[in-house]
Amino acid sequence: MHKYILRRILQAIPLLIVISIVSFALIKLAPGDPVSSFVTPDMSPEDVERIRQNMGLDQPIYVQYWHWLVNMLSGDWGYSLVNHRPVLTLIMERLPATIGLMGSALFLSLLISVPLSMYAAARKNKAADKVLSLISYIGISIPSFWFGIMLIYLFAVKLQWLPSMGMRTIGVNSFLDVVKHGILPCTVLVFMNVSVYMRYIRSQTISQLEEDYVQIQYAYGSTTGTVLVRHVLKNTLLPVITIFGMSFPELIAGAFITESVFSWPGMGALGITSVFALDYPVIMGITMISSVMLVIGNLLADILYGIVDPRIKTMK
Amino acid sequence: MKKKLLSLTALLTLVTVIVTACGGSAPASNSPTATTTGQAQAGGQLIVAVQEDPRVLNPVYAGDRVTLTINQSLFSHLYTYNNGEKKFVLAESLTPSADNLTYTLKLRKGLTWHDGKPITADDVVFTMESVLDEKQHSSDRANFIFNGTPLQVKKVDELTVEFKLPQASAAFEGVLAGFIPIPKHVFEGEADLEKSKKNEKPIGSGPFKFKEYRAGEYVTLERFDNYFAGKPKLDTVTYRIAKDPNAANMALQNGELQMRKIDAVDHNKLNSTNRFNMVTYPEGRLNYLAFNLNVDVLKKKEVRQAIAYALDRKELITATYLSEEFAKPAASIFTPDTMYHTSEVETYEHNVDRAKELLTQAGVSNLKLRLAYVNTNKAHETQALYVQQKLGEIGITVELMALDSGAFGNMSLDMNNTAYDLSFGGYIMGHEPDGYKSLYLSDAAYNYSHYKNPEFDALWNQAAVEMDPAKRGELYKQIQQTVANEMTIYPIAYDNAIIAVDKKFGGLQEAGPKPVVMFEDLSKVFIQQ
Repeated sequence: MHKYILRRILQAIPLLIVISIVSFALIKLAPGDPVSSFVTPDMSPEDVERIRQNMGLDQPIYVQYWHWLVNMLSGDWGYSLVNHRPVLTLIMERLPATIGLMGSALFLSLLISVPLSMYAAARKNKAADKVLSLISYIGISIPSFWFGIMLIYLFAVKLQWLPSMGMRTIGVNSFLDVVKHGILPCTVLVFMNVSVYMRYIRSQTISQLEEDYVQIQYAYGSTTGTVLVRHVLKNTLLPVITIFGMSFPELIAGAFITESVFSWPGMGALGITSVFALDYPVIMGITMISSVMLVIGNLLADILYGIVDPRIKTMK
Repeated sequence: MKKKLLSLTALLTLVTVIVTACGGSAPASNSPTATTTGQAQAGGQLIVAVQEDPRVLNPVYAGDRVTLTINQSLFSHLYTYNNGEKKFVLAESLTPSADNLTYTLKLRKGLTWHDGKPITADDVVFTMESVLDEKQHSSDRANFIFNGTPLQVKKVDELTVEFKLPQASAAFEGVLAGFIPIPKHVFEGEADLEKSKKNEKPIGSGPFKFKEYRAGEYVTLERFDNYFAGKPKLDTVTYRIAKDPNAANMALQNGELQMRKIDAVDHNKLNSTNRFNMVTYPEGRLNYLAFNLNVDVLKKKEVRQAIAYALDRKELITATYLSEEFAKPAASIFTPDTMYHTSEVETYEHNVDRAKELLTQAGVSNLKLRLAYVNTNKAHETQALYVQQKLGEIGITVELMALDSGAFGNMSLDMNNTAYDLSFGGYIMGHEPDGYKSLYLSDAAYNYSHYKNPEFDALWNQAAVEMDPAKRGELYKQIQQTVANEMTIYPIAYDNAIIAVDKKFGGLQEAGPKPVVMFEDLSKVFIQQ
């Protein structure tokens, strides 16, 4: 097992390097010039050049990349081109907000989607299944920003039950206050997630219900509930693990749109700002952390597969 | 000339918007309620919406709208211009010598920084030297370089500073109005002021002092009791980051935000809630259509004039801004708040026959033009559709090019650009007309119309050093008339800013609505009983 994990980690290194080269090149090839937001019309070309030099943007791309890579490996992630603060500090400031929001959303999504999907599968093609399918298709189809705005309108403006923006009331430092602010953005994310997860888990459950072992349980006189909880649940975990592995980087990268709509001070909001400003040190920082999380997520998923279904482990 | 900013942060990405942090406060033409003020109640907080995090809370670097807005409460200028009238703030006088080469600045007595240390001539000298220091790469440096030579700054005594100019400059007083001193005792010895950790807890001189910054959430300032112009009425002012405009308008209705600059299209909806005072005032901004003279067919003046006659400014304004309440028809390239602005220029009233006649004179038919604009700019999109339809009436086919802001920026800054023929843009240049030079001189990087004329350049350069106001005014009038006659830029409108403020706040008139930063002095704002 240890050897396997070590081998996977070593395999990830070239992958991460390739990701970093591709991302760096993409940012650099995008139209626009990060210097332009610091330049005023009456600046002399020499002043503009000085700013460019100060940002290290006068070097060829491969030299810039090399500097970035060497510094990154030695723990220096560079400074934001926008507000001139260290990239690592910017990311660390935002991380708790994102992990909190995305973590709760992921947890709640799984908690809701597993029983709902199993219920829908057991009632395949009956009214309850059709209603749930309809809801899930709606969830997949509607844009998250629109859904977010609708929730704000209803719960924050009309009913005045919940705050509409930010992570806390100004000057208030309490966990409960943060939770209250998190309810609406979390609802958007959970609704979107559950809609997607349900499609996977429902179809996995349906195929399990057709298996011989289920038929035998029925033959022994087990109720549907018992069959689902005692026997089928374990076997529906495979798609859940896949989803978990895929969602892992989101825990760090955040949700760009939802965070923006709710002004949630997380990584998604930081990501959007830096993309618009072509702030490449920050974009690279976020990309690399998410990539590492993706690799870890996949690795965890693979290990979990082995635990849940020993046949997978023996095949390796 | 004033603080400047590129409007990358605004929707008009990469369209040059230069800003006066000092430029003039504007007379607010607003709903009657905005002027009624009830009894002031001491204390309380005001939550102002801003669109993003501030960049560096240090005036030596501030150039974007959000940072300038926060700095306006955190720091004080030496003096500012209020409707063209000079108003002294930290300084009590500025006296030019007879030859206009030396300016003597006197600071007020007894001023202190937020940490209690006195504000002295040393701070002014230190700040100016930092701005001029190439290693500090302040974007304001160019303002204090005259014909390649920087000005010299010297402390005379504790409260007196002397500026020596290498040549007389009519623009200097305007430029110095944008200058904000920073505390020497805080920053002395810092190798890189821009990356200094001291910027995270700025020590300023304005009506409010720094209290707390939470990244992505808000910046809170609290009352500075020693403010020279009197103790501010509010306890705190919080600048809250609201990224999404639609969600921000909801938060405004919900009371989570109490002051926000809104778009004209949202005015009626918000106004109908009866919760807000709408403060409407000229933002000193020009919205224009530029002709690209790199393109052969647009080198013909008749074609450009024909296009101008084909458009109806009033219709354009109604289409984009709903009504003239939110934007005034423009004719001059100078906004009304700029010194020497004149209305005595050709306005090209809508005249289709004249337009067709000019096209025939130019020998042009079946013309196809490409009109470029930034794809996220809703107003420009509406305008583009209008222009397409109107030019169709005189037989010109317009192809719309909605571009990504980065791509648009790259194309517009290319001196040999022929990627499009027409484009939309906007700028805020402020009180001092010399600043416009950078958009109109033949070889200026931001000369988007690529109009090149040595005689026209000479007018700008003469006006920059002409010390007689009457003669200077005449030169600037000629400049404005030249652009109108040559029709290199079609001025569309001077747009108004609209600030929605929760009705419970009073003192808005006294606070002085101001382009870019919303209000000049929030210390005057109070909660009404």
